[in-house]
Amino acid sequence: MTPADPTRFLPLHALEFRILLVLRRGKSWGSRIVEEIEEREGGRMTLYPANLYRRVRDLVKRGLIEETDAPEGSDPRRTYLALTPLGREVTSLEAQRLRSLVHEVDALDLITDG
Amino acid sequence: MADGTPGAEADREAARRFYRRLAFLTPRTLRDRWLLDMEEVLAYRLSKARGRRGRAWVWVAGTWDLLRCALEERLKPASPIGATGVNDPGDGRRSVMGWSSEARQALTSLKSSPVFVLTAVGTLTLGIGAAVATFSLVYAVLLAPLPYDDADRIVAVWPERNFNAAMVRETDLRVDGIRDASGVSFWTLMMREGEVATELTAAVVSPHHFGLLGTRPALGRDFVSDDGLPGRGGVIILSHDLWIRSFGGDPDVIGRTITISGADHERRTVIGVMPEGHRPVMRAPEAWIPIEADPALSIAADDTWWVTERFARLAPGVSLEQAQAQLRAAAQSIKDEAPTMFSQEDVDRATLRPLGGYIAGDLTAPLYTAFGAVALVLLITCANVSNLTLARGEARVRALAVRAALGAARRRIVVLLLFESLFIGVAAATLGTLLSFALLRGLIALAPDTLARLTEARIDTPVLLFALGLALVASLLSGLVPALRGSTVRATAALGGGRAESGRRTGRVTQALVAAQVALAVVVTTGSGLMLRSLTTLLSEDPGLQAEGLLTLRVNPGEDRYPTAEELTLFYESLVDEIGALPGVTGASAIHIVPGRADNWSFPTYPEGHRYAEDENVITTNFRAVLPDYFEVAGIGLLQGRTFSRLDRRDTERVVLVNRAFAERWWPGESPLGRTVRVFSTEAEPYRVVGVVDDVRQFGYDRAPSPELYYLQAQWDWQIGQTLVVRFADGDPMRHAALVQTAVHGVDSQVAISQVESMESVLGTSAATTRFLAFVLTAFGALALALGAVGVFGVTSYAVGRRVPEYGVRIALGASRESVVRVALARAASPIVPGLAVGIGLALAAAGLLEAALYGVDPVDPATLGFVTVLFVAVSALAALVPALRAGGVDPIRVLNRG
Repeated sequence: MTPADPTRFLPLHALEFRILLVLRRGKSWGSRIVEEIEEREGGRMTLYPANLYRRVRDLVKRGLIEETDAPEGSDPRRTYLALTPLGREVTSLEAQRLRSLVHEVDALDLITDG
Repeated sequence: MADGTPGAEADREAARRFYRRLAFLTPRTLRDRWLLDMEEVLAYRLSKARGRRGRAWVWVAGTWDLLRCALEERLKPASPIGATGVNDPGDGRRSVMGWSSEARQALTSLKSSPVFVLTAVGTLTLGIGAAVATFSLVYAVLLAPLPYDDADRIVAVWPERNFNAAMVRETDLRVDGIRDASGVSFWTLMMREGEVATELTAAVVSPHHFGLLGTRPALGRDFVSDDGLPGRGGVIILSHDLWIRSFGGDPDVIGRTITISGADHERRTVIGVMPEGHRPVMRAPEAWIPIEADPALSIAADDTWWVTERFARLAPGVSLEQAQAQLRAAAQSIKDEAPTMFSQEDVDRATLRPLGGYIAGDLTAPLYTAFGAVALVLLITCANVSNLTLARGEARVRALAVRAALGAARRRIVVLLLFESLFIGVAAATLGTLLSFALLRGLIALAPDTLARLTEARIDTPVLLFALGLALVASLLSGLVPALRGSTVRATAALGGGRAESGRRTGRVTQALVAAQVALAVVVTTGSGLMLRSLTTLLSEDPGLQAEGLLTLRVNPGEDRYPTAEELTLFYESLVDEIGALPGVTGASAIHIVPGRADNWSFPTYPEGHRYAEDENVITTNFRAVLPDYFEVAGIGLLQGRTFSRLDRRDTERVVLVNRAFAERWWPGESPLGRTVRVFSTEAEPYRVVGVVDDVRQFGYDRAPSPELYYLQAQWDWQIGQTLVVRFADGDPMRHAALVQTAVHGVDSQVAISQVESMESVLGTSAATTRFLAFVLTAFGALALALGAVGVFGVTSYAVGRRVPEYGVRIALGASRESVVRVALARAASPIVPGLAVGIGLALAAAGLLEAALYGVDPVDPATLGFVTVLFVAVSALAALVPALRAGGVDPIRVLNRG
């Protein structure tokens, strides 16, 4: 199989990007991911399991994240997730895409105009 | 659903149950791989929720989360790896998805009419919620398989007749078609652990009772046949509940000897503990002890005539009918051997009944009635949603016509409209199922507690499947008419010309639906009216005593503490003296079985002047032992002679009181005073009748009084517990219950007290089935009436809306506004009148179904029918009035300008 072209995963769904960002900081698991995303969203978002895990499932399926070993002594029912090299690359590309989008918005001076 | 228990594991368990219940909603790819993780996240959500409301919200949001994902997953085009799903370019791949574009359009279209969606989903939610809750009761009591081995081969043997142990044995021997015949009876025993005395209900069973059911103790051993030999059986098996409650769940309890009196042995060895969740056949006892009987005794010689229930298993390959024919023949041969024990009527009643139907007993008819009523309510809600959809479809005629003109196939339009109904149906079924949890709790609280199985009703997989089925049926029922109507829209309608014609036809369909709603609502409301009348008639029956202000409580001092009859009498006398002196008490006495309880003692009776023929069946009479002043305290009228007093003692003449029914049965037209009565045999000591008291409805309001004998406790040798009856001058007697219990323990601290209840509540229990059905039907009746009114309102509004130009012209031509309102009202009446007529006809036809549940009310009750008719006319008029007034307020100038 030829290596996947990371650009064909763009643009990412907002929640998927959020998940990737959490995993960029290190491996993590379900409720911890939820906690971090909600914290960063400052209460504007409440995540529920089915919505979260269908994104997780799709990200795993597309090879952007993968299951990883759990640390010693952690709850065996938790699945620990981590970014794959491809996922790392896609996250960076999406971030660049968003940054250029922000530049564009800034150039239009939309925010001060209301 | 929320269990409210703190702690992460409890949350985790609650989450696990949630996903198990809603497994059918969870997409397979998530269920197979990510379920444990989803539970973990939901448990986290629960741990963050604040208070009950917060948790409730988590359940709702969690359900919505599943539902949304399930819908989106199913509608999502098959995305190749790499596509993100949301930003799908939407090229030709969609065509492989069949109807997914219709489904998406249906969702979009519903999103644009939130008011319609809210009304339709709300209405259907009520109907489905009520139906799911009622179905869960029906399922638990009537449909769920019993948890025994081959439960459908177990039968109740010759119900409605007491057996003795020898007869159980003989039936088993003589009827080849059944095996393992096992007797069951319920006794009250006294258990004493140190200073603590407790009364407990024990099932007295044949040794192979558990073998028949295919269950066995979880700890220790089962009974063996030796345990059933006289003098050998000093053993007991505990229920899981009693084991935990009284022995702290100690496994070493096996082999321990406990003090337990009330049946043959003073001490019994614990040989087993039943598993948690074992379901007893009838009532739930706290312990089981074996029936002890001499296998050599003949039926006539055996005096254990207290075996109230028998169960057996049909032999392999034998049908119920074959076994029943054999039983009938055996009964005849038993009667031939002991002619005085049986009447021909007894033999004719020798039947076998399947266990399930036997257990459900009196509840079968009420439950099916309630279920029938809820089915009608659901039909009404479907008709309502149909009407709403039609009215909305009318507004969309142009959009649909454009689709038709652009070449959309009729099938595609039908599919689009059906998808809309399906989404509404699924949403309503989901919300309705959530609603049914609360409704079920209410129904169980109201239901008669005579049946353990009722409280086991829960929303489980079969019930959820039923809800899912309901969603589909309701979607089809409420969507089919509008879908077929919508698909006939022609392209010409797009040009504007078709609107009037299409509207006329929709109007006719709508009117027919409203007529159907009214008809169904009349049936349900008539049913609830009849049950309410029945309940009031029942509760207004004179129970024969003054229940108000009367407290009852069972006391049992145990056999060993007052070994002689004199000592026991002295104990009871000091007890009622002590209680009688309490502040607020105007009288205290006791009877051994208080009226309104299901227990009974009934003995063969030999009244003076009656000789039984050689082969005549000896009549048995209800028997009660009382303390002096019982009749005065209970407020039972004295008709002739005197009641008991403390001058009647063990060493004075033996005396008895009879009730009016007894006097009329044995000595019609004569005075019973001075006559004598013997019980058990003609050789027994005669008791002289000194008084006649009024009849009391021993077994509840709905049973006619039967002949009764009252003996004095002091003159009766059997040592027995009593039920104290204490009359208070004011208010609710339960307020004084603690005071009385303290007084009882002041006389003897080791007396076991149980069944503390007001007399009104004891008697009320006997009306519980009627009350339950009356309540359920009234609730459904009110719902049906409200939905019917909504239907009338809707159709009138719609008709007025369509005729605005006509009303405008009428007013412009000089018609008064009142006359226009009258015209609009008359038009509104056009579906109501035939609906009422058909409804009354249906109610009359269905009256027979309710007959068994009614008391003192004719199923064809003109007063109820009249009331229902007036009610419907009034409610329909009110519902039609608002839109009709709008017709009167039409501004002719605006109408004419527009036209």
